[in-house]
Amino acid sequence: MKVDEQGLWAIFRWPLAIGAASAAGLLAALLGDGAWDALSWLLLAWPVGWCLRGLRRR
Amino acid sequence: MSPRALRGWSWVHKWTSLVATLFMLLLCLTGLPLVFYEEIDHLAGTRIEAPPMPPDTPRAPLDTVVAAAVAAFPGKVPLYVFAEKDDPGLWLIKLDTRVDTDERDAVFAAIDARSARWLGRPVFDEGVMHVFYRLHVDLFAAEAGRLFLGAMGLLLVLSIVSGTVLYAPFMRRLVFGTVRRDRSPQLRWLDLHNLLGIVTLVWLLVVGATGIVNTWANQILQAWQAGQVAALKRSAAPPAAASTATAATPIQRAVDAALAAHPHMTLSQFAFPGTLLSTPDHYAVLLAGATPLTARLQTPVLVEPGTGRVLEAAARPALATALQVSQPLHFGDYGGLPLKLLWCLLDLATIVVLWSGLVLWWRKHRRPQPLSHAIGAAR
Repeated sequence: MKVDEQGLWAIFRWPLAIGAASAAGLLAALLGDGAWDALSWLLLAWPVGWCLRGLRRR
Repeated sequence: MSPRALRGWSWVHKWTSLVATLFMLLLCLTGLPLVFYEEIDHLAGTRIEAPPMPPDTPRAPLDTVVAAAVAAFPGKVPLYVFAEKDDPGLWLIKLDTRVDTDERDAVFAAIDARSARWLGRPVFDEGVMHVFYRLHVDLFAAEAGRLFLGAMGLLLVLSIVSGTVLYAPFMRRLVFGTVRRDRSPQLRWLDLHNLLGIVTLVWLLVVGATGIVNTWANQILQAWQAGQVAALKRSAAPPAAASTATAATPIQRAVDAALAAHPHMTLSQFAFPGTLLSTPDHYAVLLAGATPLTARLQTPVLVEPGTGRVLEAAARPALATALQVSQPLHFGDYGGLPLKLLWCLLDLATIVVLWSGLVLWWRKHRRPQPLSHAIGAAR
């Protein structure tokens, strides 16, 4: 979708949030088992979800 | 961004990517089955497992266990004893002709931890999984191959950084997540490259950086060993005179003494004197903690074979800690099967990023160009 010219914050805020979630997800499973693992799956599913969405046919 | 800066970053992104892409594709493709190494091993029925016994069955002394392994391989000496985290009923013993070889001809013996009975000879160096492993780790070129792949990893990091910088000018007028599917294949590839690249950024940086650290494993472990030997020489306790095997403290007693000094830890590995993980004059008892992180952080406790005395080893150097933390973060084997599946999907997404980058470069260059450009390119 086209929009008016955006600043750096507007361009990078979602990538930043997803990046922070990925980092937290990678860390969570290191800290413990059980709930920590589940938290890790949840957080890392976010970037994976965007990948699958981008790869849809339409 | 000034047009000059844009050109500079584009140049960095294009060349670091072009040089590294083929190797990165190879690493992604071979890494995919390696994520599921244990599961494949188990399904193929090649995994050696200890027969079930009641959990309170008494365990055989480690000395008896090691003796059983040595008896099966006359002429070889034991290097290491490994505990299997998922199968406490067995020990893996690694043997070779000498303790200080490059371990290329090393063999493994699986011995029952309760009965000290021979369970089998796990073979890690044949079969299709081993081919994947070697292609992933050293391209069948030993140390040179490792360091080469590490250098490709450094190019990957540069390519990721430059790609992130270039993301901004491309997305100035696009909402996050846009993939223009109906305009042209070129735009669809570009949007896919940008979207998949930016959302897998942190994961790929972590897996890339930890992969680079893993290529330096031998150097890091050697430096650690040299540091420990130097620290012991400086300390008040001089190493006991090189002990002979006959006068040696039983291994089990050395392990018990180390565990008594660190009551909250468990035995992860035992190293005989002269190996990469011990010193020439000491047993090393490698202890580990209980959480997924501390289970990976081995604390070495040195024991004098002559006297059975426990020496406190110097603190683990930062690089060794980095190496040990790098391993789970690279393998993705620390959060159950779902984490492995996510690892697999992120790996596949990385393949799409690499492939789309290649396609974009190819299409750009295939297109007929003005004569002056063609001349410039040919020069």
